Amino acid sequence: MTIAAQADDPAGTPPLSAEPRVFRPNKPKSATHLRFLGSLALISIPVFLFATLITFLLGYASGLDPAAGIAGDAATPEVIARIRADFGLDRPVAIQYLDWMAGLVRGDFGVSWFNGVPVLQLILQRLPVSLSVAGAALVVGIVMGSLLGIGAAIWRGSAFDRAVTAFASLAAALPPFVVAIVLILIFSLWLNLLPAAGYIPFSEDPAGWLRIIAIPAMALSVDIIADLARQLRTGLVSALSENYVTGAVVRGLSPRRILFVHVLRNAAGPALSMLALRVPMLIGGAVVTESIFTMPGMGKMAADSALRGDVPVVQGTLVVSIVIVLACSLLINILLGVLQPATQRRD
Amino acid sequence: MTKPRLPLLLGLALTALLVLAGCGSSDDAAKARVRWAFIMPTSWDPVTSRTGADINTISLAYASLTRLNKAGEVEPALAKSWEYSEDGRQLTFELRENLKFSDGSPLDAAAVKAFLDRGKTQKDSFLKAELKGIDRISADTPTRVTLHLAEADYQLPYVLAGRVGAIASPNAARDPKKLALWPAGAGPFRMVEFIPESHAYFEKNPHYWDAADIHIERLELTTSPDPSTLVAALLSGSIDVATRIPAHKVKEARERGLTVVIAPSLNAANVSINRNKPPFDNPKVVEAFRYALDRRDFVTIVTAGLGRPTHQPFPPNYFAFDPEIEKRWTYDPKRAQALLREAGYAPGQLSLEIAANPQTGDGGAEVVQAQLARIGVKATIRVVPPGSSSWQSEVYIAKRPQIAVDGTIGRESPIQNLLAVYGPAGIMNLSGPYASAGFLDAVERVRRTPTDDPAYRARLHEAVRIGVAQSPSNYLYATPWIIAARPRVKHLNVLPSQIRWEGVRIE
Amino acid sequence: MASRLIRNRAAFPALLILAIIAFLVALGPVLAPQDPLAQNPYELLQGPSAQHWLGTDAFGRDVLSRLLAGSTVSILASLLSVEIGLILGVVPGLLSVFLPRSFEWISLRLIDALMTLPFLVFAIAMTALLGNGLIQAMFAVGILITPAFYRVSRAAALSVANTQYIEAARLMGASTAFIIRRHVVSKVLPAIAVTTASMTGACLSIVASLTFLGIGVVPPEPTWGGLLATDLTTLYERPFGPLAPGLLIVATVWALNALADVLRDINALPEEART
Repeated sequence: MTIAAQADDPAGTPPLSAEPRVFRPNKPKSATHLRFLGSLALISIPVFLFATLITFLLGYASGLDPAAGIAGDAATPEVIARIRADFGLDRPVAIQYLDWMAGLVRGDFGVSWFNGVPVLQLILQRLPVSLSVAGAALVVGIVMGSLLGIGAAIWRGSAFDRAVTAFASLAAALPPFVVAIVLILIFSLWLNLLPAAGYIPFSEDPAGWLRIIAIPAMALSVDIIADLARQLRTGLVSALSENYVTGAVVRGLSPRRILFVHVLRNAAGPALSMLALRVPMLIGGAVVTESIFTMPGMGKMAADSALRGDVPVVQGTLVVSIVIVLACSLLINILLGVLQPATQRRD
Repeated sequence: MTKPRLPLLLGLALTALLVLAGCGSSDDAAKARVRWAFIMPTSWDPVTSRTGADINTISLAYASLTRLNKAGEVEPALAKSWEYSEDGRQLTFELRENLKFSDGSPLDAAAVKAFLDRGKTQKDSFLKAELKGIDRISADTPTRVTLHLAEADYQLPYVLAGRVGAIASPNAARDPKKLALWPAGAGPFRMVEFIPESHAYFEKNPHYWDAADIHIERLELTTSPDPSTLVAALLSGSIDVATRIPAHKVKEARERGLTVVIAPSLNAANVSINRNKPPFDNPKVVEAFRYALDRRDFVTIVTAGLGRPTHQPFPPNYFAFDPEIEKRWTYDPKRAQALLREAGYAPGQLSLEIAANPQTGDGGAEVVQAQLARIGVKATIRVVPPGSSSWQSEVYIAKRPQIAVDGTIGRESPIQNLLAVYGPAGIMNLSGPYASAGFLDAVERVRRTPTDDPAYRARLHEAVRIGVAQSPSNYLYATPWIIAARPRVKHLNVLPSQIRWEGVRIE
Repeated sequence: MASRLIRNRAAFPALLILAIIAFLVALGPVLAPQDPLAQNPYELLQGPSAQHWLGTDAFGRDVLSRLLAGSTVSILASLLSVEIGLILGVVPGLLSVFLPRSFEWISLRLIDALMTLPFLVFAIAMTALLGNGLIQAMFAVGILITPAFYRVSRAAALSVANTQYIEAARLMGASTAFIIRRHVVSKVLPAIAVTTASMTGACLSIVASLTFLGIGVVPPEPTWGGLLATDLTTLYERPFGPLAPGLLIVATVWALNALADVLRDINALPEEART
């Protein structure tokens, strides 16, 4: 299930922007770096503001409030109005937004309307779970995707190549929950090798933690493997047919050196961009695996809270996800800049 | 060269993963740990707990004044004995010595008095109705506490076996909000970790009065996994005991080598009707619905034949069950349609919204919908979102739905159950605060009758009869406890009123 | 483009599958042998038989009829989402090239913001908080796929906007609207067609995920995702139950993705085609 990645990406535009690349003549390196980072920051901030605005408006548009849960037996209209006022829900929308943003900056994400626990505490309790699974999925996805993609490119035209391509196109068509359930059926029910539910923190039992995140991580990584393998294969194949490769071969460089030092660098660009686009999907996709595995993760909490109408928790989780995504995008942009200095020369 | 290396790398990675997967840790045996998949309570404070099912989870951290046994009879617990005065208006409990809460403070008569007082007076207490009959409580000696009742009430020892008597530390109760999130009781276990809506971990409480009978060192309570992975979770050891297992999974569980316990419960499912909302403010419509539902279908589809039909909030074979009530209404869709027409609704003209609880529904709402369609009533289902308290807020407190698929898990005392489902303050009375005077009188009569009095049973049955007749709600079927467990869990202790952990052993 | 598509051999399996699905969607409810909502307590969880080609579910309802009825709901929901995304994405995408810088900058940042949101979580949040119906789900998904359409149409428009004949048209006094209508749209359409195909597949997958989780589902209406979820609960009694809805979902999504690939190939210049 690849969404934005399938949006035709002309020659791999850098993440964080829908803007295609424009080239300018060289500037001194340090100035370029600084300008690059500066422009990234300049874009991140308005993006963050817009994203949090959308998040806030979602909560506001829902028109929900904590009155029913708190009022109890005495749920008269006056009591409800008083509770709404207590929570500041009767103020104009702009004031509420600014107040909420001010709280965010301070680290005050509000309090759950459902059980009164501070939202940040709830999120921090669950963040390690989601990050474990997402991180493991990313690692597995990158490793397996790279191996398969490079292999397919090296042995292009062989049965291996065709198998990888077929696998990639099939995997892209599988919704994440299908993959998760199939893996449970195979590894848990049939082979009885791995557990099917729950979560064990790494600090408590590293081996148990690994066993428990194995299936969810595998399920989430399938998408990444398929996309990465496809991208790398395409990128490598076209890069390998470039003139400079022929030149390097003629000059006697070893195939391994050609592959890892030169070709991979150039092919990695679009692959990295694609990865950056996958991060929001990874965080979101965790919802499905966390639900199926009953893991106390952030995604499941967001989904359950949304169903309960617990707006502060939903908003808090979205904001944390946004921050994570922006941070990852920034990181990948920097990595891209290191790998391919050409991308730093931007408008 | 790259060629030979790739397969080698792949092979190494896979081997490493498999090795790690294989050597999973299982110090379960060493620590006698049980993983129980159930539900999270609506509150860890018995005073603000909003549903009867909470007795199962609250009993982990709290001990009550008395305890019920498998036959439903009262046994000593925190109190080693009790005695009524001649006129039945004073009930004196003699507590055990040296009882302590998990926060170290003593559990004495003063603590019991403080707890019951709080139950009567705290603003958001859900025990008010059940403690109403107690005028005042006196702590006579450090181990003797007397309840001074307005009228004789012989149900109290039963009632105090549940949440009403689950004494919480008055020290901790100074911050009720915190107590709702972290229990402080004198029960078999002590909580060590709690993540709301996810799990609660407990360790054995060595100061529990019956600690000698607890053979579990660590109990991990979690929410139930999705039914599709439930059996897989049990087989793989992610959970040891699953209480909410759908009836149709029993066959699969047994065939896969799991222990399945089917034990009598006090569970009865119903269709709750709200006479304060149209169309049920029309008595003819209420009467039509008496004949509209075929209970046998529910037993087949929802309980896979393990349940039994019932028209009252008790299962057959329970002493409060009155067989006469079952004969009053039969399944008669034609009569139902005729009554609806008399009420002014031709087939297809009446539309309803059924509130359904995804956690306990097991599909009952869809069966109701299909059966109503047969008598020309168009019903849509509204699923109330999951969460330990959302059903309570929406249906029990706000009483918004016209009709809801609900059920009672039972109470320690039959009168308590009748009041919870039919009483003016009953949380499961969707028509609240309606309750007929005749019903309330009958209930009081039963209260004033000692339980060993020959007239007791007859009066009890009369109260049930009147209650069923005056309420628009219809009880449909009773289901037993269906519990699936891994074979290593032995001697599951399943009472009709709740699950307990005394006597349970792990191999 | 359409004629080239039909003649393309690689497109044949995809087009065949899509034609079958379209047939099911259009005529499904009519073809259904039985009422998808009729419960039969005496025929629970049965395997395939003459009377019930795909067996019955836990309520005794005919699975085949439910599958056919669910096809319409699931596919139409996905199509509606794509339509919303298309309109919300293509129009600003095209305009961003021709309108002043401020519009361009704001729309770019808005789209970036939408891309930063965690997709499924936000879709669930939006659906659940705004009423938890299928309509809300479709709107949520539609809004969240807007960036894909925006980027594609913007990129295509950019590649056209700086060409000489556009410049010439401007010099001759043509209005922006005319230029867009006359020149840009025809260049942008192929790219949008590709995105539409792949996005429809993605939307179907997401709608299936949402209904699988119980979001946007109004029981007892059947949906592919919902059917798959219940089939997994009764896996033991009907081991091949999940195959039917699962295969339908996977086949449709695969066909749409394959269609998108073929469209991309036939519209691309030779050196841009996939090797």
